[in-house]
Amino acid sequence: MAPAESNSGGATKDQPPVKAPAKDLKKKDDKKDEDLSEEDLALKQQLELYVERAQDTDPGLQKVALESMRQEIRTATSSMTSVPKPLKFLRPHYGTLQAHYEKMSDSDLKKLLADILSVLALTMSPEGERESLKYRLLGSDGDIGSWGHEYVRNLAGEISQEYSKRQSEEAPIDDLMDLVVQIVAFHMKHNAEPEAVDLLMEVEDLDLLVEHVDSTNFKRTCLYLTSSAKYLPGPDDMLVLDIAHSIYMKFEEYPRALQIALYLDNFQYVGELFQRCEDPLKRKQFCFILARHGVSFELTESIIADDEERDALQNLINNTKLNEGYLTLARDIEVMEPKSPEDIYKAHLIEGRGSGGGTVDSARQNLAATFVNAFVNAGFGQDKLMTVPAEASSGGSSSSWLFKNKEHGKASAAASLGMIMLWDIDSGLAQLDKYFHSTDTHVVSGALLGVGIVNCNVQSDCDPALALLAEYVEKEDASIKIGAIMGLGLAHAGSQNEQVRSILMPLLLDGRSSLDVIAFAGIALGLVYVGSCNEDVAQNIVLALMERSESELGDPLAHFLPLGLGLLFLGKQESVEATAEVSKTFNEKIRKHCDMTLLSCAYAGTGNVLKVQHFLGQCAQHLEKGESYQGPAVLGIAMVAMAEELGLEMAIRSLEHLLQYGEQNIRRAVPLALGLLCISNPKVNVMDTLSRLSHDTDSEVAMAAMISLGLIGAGTNNARIAGMLRNLSSYYYKDASLLFCVRIAQGLVHLGKGLLTLSPYHSERFLMSPTALAGLVVMLHACLDMKALILGKYHYVLYFLVLAMQPRMLLTVDENLKPLSVPVRVGQAVDVVGQAGRPKTITGFQTHSTPVLLAAGDRAELATEKYIPLSPILEGFVILKENPDYKEES
Amino acid sequence: MLKVNVKWQKEVFSNMEVDTTQPPYVFKCQLFDLTGVPPERQKIMVKGGLLKDDSDWSKVGIKEGQKLMMMGTADEIVKAPEKGPIFSEDMPEEEQAVAVGHSAGLVNLGNTCYMNSTLQCLHSVPELKSALIQYPPPVRSNAVDQSSHSLTVATRELFSELDKNVRPVAPVRFLTALRSKYPQFAQLHNGIYMQQDAEECWTQLLFTLSLALRSSSSSEDADALKKFFGIEIVSRIHCAESGEESTETESVYSLKCHISQEVNHLHEGLKRALKSELEKSSPSLGRTAVYTKDSRINDLPRYLTIQFVRFFWKRETNQKAKILRKVDYPLSLDVYDLCSDDLRKRLELPRRLLRDEEGKKAGLKTNESSSTKDSDVKMTDAEGSSNASGDSSVSAPGEGAPPEKEKHLTGIYDLVAVLTHKGRSADSGHYVAWVKQENGKWIQFDDDNPIPQREEDITRLSGGGDWHMAYICMYKARDIAM
Repeated sequence: MAPAESNSGGATKDQPPVKAPAKDLKKKDDKKDEDLSEEDLALKQQLELYVERAQDTDPGLQKVALESMRQEIRTATSSMTSVPKPLKFLRPHYGTLQAHYEKMSDSDLKKLLADILSVLALTMSPEGERESLKYRLLGSDGDIGSWGHEYVRNLAGEISQEYSKRQSEEAPIDDLMDLVVQIVAFHMKHNAEPEAVDLLMEVEDLDLLVEHVDSTNFKRTCLYLTSSAKYLPGPDDMLVLDIAHSIYMKFEEYPRALQIALYLDNFQYVGELFQRCEDPLKRKQFCFILARHGVSFELTESIIADDEERDALQNLINNTKLNEGYLTLARDIEVMEPKSPEDIYKAHLIEGRGSGGGTVDSARQNLAATFVNAFVNAGFGQDKLMTVPAEASSGGSSSSWLFKNKEHGKASAAASLGMIMLWDIDSGLAQLDKYFHSTDTHVVSGALLGVGIVNCNVQSDCDPALALLAEYVEKEDASIKIGAIMGLGLAHAGSQNEQVRSILMPLLLDGRSSLDVIAFAGIALGLVYVGSCNEDVAQNIVLALMERSESELGDPLAHFLPLGLGLLFLGKQESVEATAEVSKTFNEKIRKHCDMTLLSCAYAGTGNVLKVQHFLGQCAQHLEKGESYQGPAVLGIAMVAMAEELGLEMAIRSLEHLLQYGEQNIRRAVPLALGLLCISNPKVNVMDTLSRLSHDTDSEVAMAAMISLGLIGAGTNNARIAGMLRNLSSYYYKDASLLFCVRIAQGLVHLGKGLLTLSPYHSERFLMSPTALAGLVVMLHACLDMKALILGKYHYVLYFLVLAMQPRMLLTVDENLKPLSVPVRVGQAVDVVGQAGRPKTITGFQTHSTPVLLAAGDRAELATEKYIPLSPILEGFVILKENPDYKEES
Repeated sequence: MLKVNVKWQKEVFSNMEVDTTQPPYVFKCQLFDLTGVPPERQKIMVKGGLLKDDSDWSKVGIKEGQKLMMMGTADEIVKAPEKGPIFSEDMPEEEQAVAVGHSAGLVNLGNTCYMNSTLQCLHSVPELKSALIQYPPPVRSNAVDQSSHSLTVATRELFSELDKNVRPVAPVRFLTALRSKYPQFAQLHNGIYMQQDAEECWTQLLFTLSLALRSSSSSEDADALKKFFGIEIVSRIHCAESGEESTETESVYSLKCHISQEVNHLHEGLKRALKSELEKSSPSLGRTAVYTKDSRINDLPRYLTIQFVRFFWKRETNQKAKILRKVDYPLSLDVYDLCSDDLRKRLELPRRLLRDEEGKKAGLKTNESSSTKDSDVKMTDAEGSSNASGDSSVSAPGEGAPPEKEKHLTGIYDLVAVLTHKGRSADSGHYVAWVKQENGKWIQFDDDNPIPQREEDITRLSGGGDWHMAYICMYKARDIAM
């Protein structure tokens, strides 16, 4: 980002100190003369002659001398490593020329000399003097590029230094800006977009860029802009992205523009995009991108006038195609056959031990099987426990499995049906209907939660979740209430639905509500208004927190309220400050916990290094009795640092240190943080760390490590993790709690039989779905106190993961949105930011035909010229258009 | 009249007429005809709300061509099964123990792993347990002193507690009883109870139990423990010089396996131990002479205990040193060639029967005709042998009803428990018991922590390194009913 240092460094390093006596230089040169070839010697003498002549009194002679000198410099060929010969030979005369310049009267000749001095200063100017720039400004405003690339780069570096100096002195900068314009134009023309962008960032005038980009270089420019945005502080990153957006709009690269609009969370831009782009197919592609991001965006009449088209597009945004596409993928990969938990446990591979006992049902293990079954068969619409084949008569396996769960376990069992029918509203509701009429409150509660799960990430214009769940929120029974609240939260996550708010908000301040109802209401509101900074909701949650008695605040459930509050500000950085200020007035029992939670949520996905340091600092402190803020702080490190690869690697190393030196409560959170950092991305080093921790003497560390093993392997079918977990299942076979965690992790690894991912990042890791992250964070916070929540009676918080579940697929569709199989190359993505030419974007690729699965860090590109993808990013649903120029090869 | 579309599951009923003057119930009845879902179970969703039976159409705000969604099935409502499943979490602990498949571990009370491992091995002998249950007899004889009595009672209590619990048991009472009976186990070193030799503990405990149980058991089988563990050995003492020869019989509770340079396998060690040389005064020569003692097993127990003589007193260092040599032992042991001729004769028939039976099990189809022929021969043979073994009282102890057929020993034994030692000397290191459970699985009882093990790992405890190595092996007779 600072070309000045890096560029000038190389040029000045190996030169003798300028202030050395001239005699010494002469002597050296004399010695060197002997080594010179005849050609060089001639050139040297020639130049010396020019220098002499330039000091002549005759202006005519001067002019000729200066011009020939210029000619020599310009025609000199230089390489990266050596100084051009004319410059080298002129160096001893820099001082003389400089002195002569001072004596000259103003004239064109003086400007000409200034130009030459400016070039000579490239190698001669002492560091920090910026003489090159000084003489450039004094010289003629000739074509800047005529002096070569190196000169321009050096100049750019000096400009940025000069700029900051003048900025602090509040001196005018107009003359600089003229130069900047020239340099930018030069860079943009010569494939040096990063340099141009860097210079403009230094002089804080990126708007200039828009004028200079053209169709050949805008892609590289924007790529550089967007990727540098991640490392920029404060408002600058938004500004940079804004420029990128306007450039993309200018060149009609709408899908990219849409991405940036989504990154900026700017729905006005999204609306404009739909208005600007008339192509109905492209509009459909936009809808797919919006749907993948998981935002609810309503197309109004002002955006799209045509009713029919608007309905069709709105349906796409509502993700109604998701289930269909997912099943297409599943059929193509041939994994439709339902799997039972035993297929996942693979007990036969564990040597020396069969299924153990086996005759007696263990409620804990049945519950684990329920979750495993739900995770593994998620979205497939069929399984071996909960769904009954149509021909099976009454008393089928469905109800019998349901009742093999104990009490609150039945809620999770009933809700698991929702998970199995994920994204398929029509059949899902029909399947769940029978549970609504049950007399068992837990079953009803599960059915309500199931409705929420089915509707998660998909919307229907009839909004069945709201219609069905609203009335149950009023019910007396706490478990039914929680089912309905959680269902609403899941179904409407990110929708900012007013109706949902009016249903949930009164619960917060209702004196009769029990703590768990209030806690779940807080979370649900946080999900519905995720990242909205909604004042009203925030205030109500704050009030609810203040009303809690001190003993209630000690309950792990009470920690859900600050979390709900934090979710409101997810990724919104400074906007949280007012609320954070209020939180300082809370009871000291929860004050710091709340502070950490708010901060971690607000800076989630920003990569803000200062915040990471802040959290690390908090972890270095010793806990007072009864405090619990370090758990959220550790998670906060992961939440903030997960934004980009470098920060992520650093965070992993920092967490290793915490493991070594941290106290027990920190060590318990570290595995979870690792799990979040590498979610659905089984990095081997993290896998090894977690494997080590899974044998930790502290059972809570071990449990967290095992859950995290599941998280990093989520939906990958990773054989190594699966093997580790199998061994753990035999190692911990007699500890029901630990075994439960192993089972959950096994279920997660085979999530959706390996077709799903939990990563909130998508679109080449550029965009982060806020609802997905919110779901993960809620689940992880619940894992901070495993014994009270997940191993207690609130195990259904595991279903919050459904928010992050997305198929990790590339499904190409034709213009009628029917699946279209084309060959694609899938390989490891290569970072091509700032690289010259047209580098390969993937490496080690294999050619498949769509639909294909994409692993973490994979990128796909079409292997045929026959079609043109409407989105440059081949992920999720991509519409293909036939290439009109394509000719069949004979 | 409005026309609406109703979506139900995957079906769409388009252009359904709605009479807005009638209550929605009427509309639901229309749907009942189409779907078969009774009106009371229909849930019709209109833009985030439910259509109530008596709500006003005008307030619902329904429009021409609007899409409605109906939820509801005619399926049977789920009912809880009358008899819910019983969860292991709800069961009392004894039943959980059955479900877990092995008994509890024993808490280490401070260098008591020698005792814990001994107890775990002995605990795996069901016959011993049943004998203990009958203790004390209604009429207590005075043959047993108080401390032996309390030790026996403590053993009984501890064994029953082990069966009932899933969680580790602390054998406090047993330990006190043991130490009061045998004060050497209460030796202190630097104020801490010392580690002891497990073999000593094993022997002493069995000795006490045999005394106590002898007095208790009913008159017919005078010595229950002897029947389970006792080995009768016939020794021929021969002096090469004088040609003197004598025989003596003795009863021991364990066979020793001597370990020397040449011994690589349990069998060799056993053979070595049965041959010894001793010097004693020869009456005929009138001076001490070298006698060879050649022992044979004359009678076998149901549980054959074998001790690896791994410890010897090293005078230089004044401590019990350990031989780390690897000595393999099999999962099933045949002691036929260590038996006396008399015993061999008795074993022959049961062995043949056993072989046939196992051959059949293995699926080797011995052709029918030959087997019938064989059985004829056997019938006659059996009579002879039963006479021979008539008073050897090798019958299985009565567990419930007396067995229809008498069980006969075959001289073949299966490994059921291994007591291992890890470390360099007898008074240090760690003792662990590896016990085969009734369900055929092996459990390593490392004090309070039972760990399942694979069978092939059990044979790897044969020494030759610093890993656990077998110190005492207990084999159970493979018998056959005749």
